[in-house]
This record gives sequence, C-alpha cells and structure tokens, in this order.
Amino acid sequence: MKYLHYILRNVRRNPVRTALTVASTGICLFLMMILVSFFAMSDEVNTGSRVHNRLATLNANGFAGVIPIARVKEVAALDGVEAVTPFSWYGGKYKDEVMPFAMFCVDPDAVFRVLEELTIPKDQLNAFRKNRDGCVIGRKLAKERRLQVGDPMPLKGDTYPVDLNLTIRGIYDGPSDRDLRMCFLRYDTFDEAFRRVAASSGRDVSQFAGNAGMIFTKCKNASAMPAVSRAIDDLYRNSDYPTRTQTEEAFGKMFEEMMGDLRGMIRLIGLAVVFSLLCVAGNAMAMAMRERTTEVAVLKAIGFDRGRILFLVLAESMLVAGSGGALGALGSKALFAWVDISPYTAGFLPFYYIPWSVALQGLGISLFIGFASGVGPAVRAAGLPVVDGLRRVV
Amino acid sequence: MGAASSIELRSVSKEYHRDAFTIPVLVDLDLSVAEGEFLALMGPSGSGKTTLLNLIAGLDRATHGEVIVHDQDLGLLSEAQITRWRADNVGFIFQTYNLIPVLTAAENVELPLLLTSLSRKRRRQNVATALRIVGLEGREHHYPRQLSGGQEQRVAIARAIVTDPYLLVADEPTGDLDRTTAGEILDLLQLLNREFEKTIVMVTHDPLAALRASRTLHLDKGRLVNDVIQEARVPAAS
Repeated sequence: MKYLHYILRNVRRNPVRTALTVASTGICLFLMMILVSFFAMSDEVNTGSRVHNRLATLNANGFAGVIPIARVKEVAALDGVEAVTPFSWYGGKYKDEVMPFAMFCVDPDAVFRVLEELTIPKDQLNAFRKNRDGCVIGRKLAKERRLQVGDPMPLKGDTYPVDLNLTIRGIYDGPSDRDLRMCFLRYDTFDEAFRRVAASSGRDVSQFAGNAGMIFTKCKNASAMPAVSRAIDDLYRNSDYPTRTQTEEAFGKMFEEMMGDLRGMIRLIGLAVVFSLLCVAGNAMAMAMRERTTEVAVLKAIGFDRGRILFLVLAESMLVAGSGGALGALGSKALFAWVDISPYTAGFLPFYYIPWSVALQGLGISLFIGFASGVGPAVRAAGLPVVDGLRRVV
Repeated sequence: MGAASSIELRSVSKEYHRDAFTIPVLVDLDLSVAEGEFLALMGPSGSGKTTLLNLIAGLDRATHGEVIVHDQDLGLLSEAQITRWRADNVGFIFQTYNLIPVLTAAENVELPLLLTSLSRKRRRQNVATALRIVGLEGREHHYPRQLSGGQEQRVAIARAIVTDPYLLVADEPTGDLDRTTAGEILDLLQLLNREFEKTIVMVTHDPLAALRASRTLHLDKGRLVNDVIQEARVPAAS
C-alpha cells in the first residue's frame, strides 16, 4: 500500500494519454460486454428455467408443423404432469402500431400455473377465465402503452387473417429476466374466430384450425420430466403429427442454434478486441516507460530491486487498463440495469442485462490486458542496468 | 591519513566492450579513502571519474581487482545483495538532481524510506529532519517544478541522507548551478562531512568545488595522476 501513492501519481503524470488509454479500453469492453452478454444472459435465463420443471412440445418438423389442440388434454392426463397450456403464436399488431409485441394464445385456466413465476391478481385471472374476449398483458407493456384493465385491445392479425377486438382483463408481473411485454389471449377465442373467418372466405384452412402451435407442460417435479417427455413423444410417434419434446432450457438453446455459430463469431470478435487493446495499452505503457528510463535508473540506484520495479510498472499498467475495464464492464452493467432497451428491439429482446459473470469477466480481461501490456516494459525497466539508465544525464 | 580505511580499491581495472573493441576506462587503480573523508575526483572528460564513482557506489562492477567499501567486498555480492547494500549504505546526488517530477519534495525524500520497515509516522519524521538539515522547511509540499535549481539539489541531498547512509556519492552536484547556489550546495556537503561525519566522494570539473574537499584525486586516461590533500581547504561559508 505504501507504493500506491507513487503509482497513482505516475498514472496521472500524462493525463491525456491515460485518459485516452482508459477510454479506448472502456469503450471496447463496453461494446464487447453487449455482444457477449447476449449469450451469457440467454444461458443464465435458460439455466434458471430449470427450476420450473417445464417441457416444450413441438411438432417433430418444428414450428411449421401442427400440434392438434386435443393433445393438450391428453398430455395433461399423463402421470407426473401438473398443468398444460397451448402456446400458439398469434402474429398480430396492436392498433396501427408497426412495432409488434409477443402475443400468445393460451389456456386461461392453466397458463399461470405453467408459467408460475408470473403473477396476476386473483380477480383479474378470474375475469380472464370468465370472459372469452379477455386478454392479459405484461406490466411493462401496460406501462409503455398506458393501458389499464378494462381498456380495449384491438389486434390485427398478420400471420393469420384474424382481427380480434379484445378487452384487457388483467395485468401480470414477474421477475426482471422474464418477458413482461407479452399479451396472452384465449386459445378458444382465437380458434373460433379463425374458423369463422376461414369459413366466410371459403378457403380450406382445416390443417391450421385447432393447431396448438406448441404445448407447454409443467411437471410435478424434476425427476418426472424425462418420463413425461418420453411418454409424450411415444404417444404420437406413429401419428400424422409426431412430436419432439424437450426441456425449456433445451428449447431456449434451440433458438440460439437457429442463429448459426454466432457465438463463435462473437468469440473471434472478442479476441480481436483484446488483441487491439493489448496493442493500444502496450504502446502507451512502452512510451511511458521510455520517458522514465532515468527515473527507473535512479530508483534502482537508491535501492529499488528488480521485483519492486516490476511490481510498480505492472501495477500502473493494470491500474490504467483496470480503470478502463471498470468503466466499460461495470459501466455497461449499470447502464443496462438502468436503461431498458427492449422497446427499441422490436420485441426481439424482451429484456437485456449484463450478467455479473460477464461484467467480472470483462474486468478480468482488462486486468489481463494491463498485465500483458505491462510485462514487456516492466521486464525492460527491471533489467535496465543502472549505469546505462543514468548515462543520459550523468 | 591515519584514519581507518573506508574505501579500498586494489588493482582495479574496468573495461567496456563495444562491438569488437575493448575500451579500458580504469587501469590497475589502487586507492584508499579514509572514513569521514571528503574526496573530490577531477580529470578531463573520459578520464574515468564517473566510472570510478560508480564502482565505489556499487552501481557497476570492476573487470579486475577488488572494491571494498566499509569492509564489504562489492565483487562478492549478488545483484540483489548489492541493491540492498546500496539502499543501506549509499546516498546519491546527481548533477541534474533526478527528482521524480510527480512527487512533492517530501515524497521524493521519502522514496528510499519506502524500502525500510519504518512506520509512516516515523518516515515523515525522518523526512522532516532531512529537509530541515538541507534548509527546506516549509517546502515539503512543493513539486520540483516549483523549486529553484539549488532547492531541487537540496531536496536531492535530503533524499541522499534520509536513510543516514555511510557514504555519499555526488556526480557533478554543482554542474547545473550558478556560482552562488553552487557555493551553498558545497557548504551543505561540507556540513554533512564535518558535522555528520559522512564519507563523501564527489566528481567535479570545478577546481573551486574541489577545494572544498579534503582531498582531490586527478585522473587521466584511467590512471591516478595526482593526489592532493588540502591541508587548508576552503571553509564553508556558514
């Protein structure tokens, strides 16, 4: 600690150079945190979903395939199952809005038992159950659109040619790492409207009517999940619509895989960023030490040994890079905790945050950059023959 | 001389190698400096004055021969040991002061004490004492850029004496100063020699500065050519 004062003074010796080094490290790490966090956050959310013991059942051919709605009841009857809901995507827009939010057709009796982390007042849930024109929206969606219970919710269908005039019967809430901008409408209302529209247009849409889209199943406990998963797929193996059941975690990862090897690409970008930061910080440190050759020689003359010189240079280098890291990594953490970017992502990212693991990793990387960029100048300074260093002035 | 020998050089040679050339700087030098002596080293540029000073201070090693300072054969010490030895026994005063510009006068003086196990309070006491000796009370918080050349050199002297070393080495300590200020610095060195019994080895080009020493050695082409003991050296102005 007694050297801290000296180290801090050296850091402030050339404020412009230090500020530029800190800023370049900070900005690069800030951007890197945003990239890396997408997957880290996704992993964290996916892993966190394990506690809910949920299974997602799709048609074996994926989202394009059909899951007959009758299967919801059949799955609910299986041993180890606690609750089941259809989870059918209703691609629509609110009023004339261009930016969509997620809308799902669900079973009002089961959806909040399956998605147990979401909360809704009992009277509002009952109103949703009793009213076929009812829908429930997330707290953030209600806040952004200034919507309240009882307000109309006119939806225009995009995926399906079905417009719905619904009424908000409830507003749900939940943890910050859950999508609080969804709209749940009743499956039976949607299906009925869809059949009616199809009949009036004279088109044969029988293959899409009664399609649950996806089935969300909550199991009684984790140990029941493998058996339930097997049982569902076995049940429909030889049907027209075979299924693929997986855990919610695996389901989430499947979405990531759909983006290709984005993770690998981000890793490469990260390596390039670290390398360029090494060059920037290394150059700054080398310049700083070149300017101080005589000072280092004086320190060695008065008794500072190699170890102390190494320590002083490395500590300075790590302090500068670490400050940039703190600014970039912890700054991004604080910023995304404060600013909600989801409204600007067209619903693609319902929430975004920098996980602590990523922020600390960023801080660690910046310290590594400080260490690696300081090693060369530190070793050169520590090995500087005193007489050579003093020769400039003596 | 009569007094116990403080610095002993026996058949010391120093050579530098530049590419294929061997450059002899000091040639078969024998020297004995008594404890408490104030020795001035003079000679033309390239005569080996600074090299001799560096050998005595443990900054460089002799190619041949023995350098014994305060009963310690410096040639037997490892790199780490000689660094420690310098911290304990030698105070350095340079021509261009070589203060750390980002540290205050007090912090510059404190630097050698950071290598000791002294408490912060004790370090501050020692710094205050050293600054008082060199006449810089009240300037503790001034940065080098806020001091005159003479004051900077005083801070450098305070840094050199703060650990109470046995030996002070000064390389052209008045080389960058005007005549009056140089006189003040030489007064201070004489004071340290007389009152605090420091052994001082000073390299200088200035014959008037050399007159303040108790003995002057003249070097030429790495050899000792003249050894003068000033019986009646110029006294300190104070």
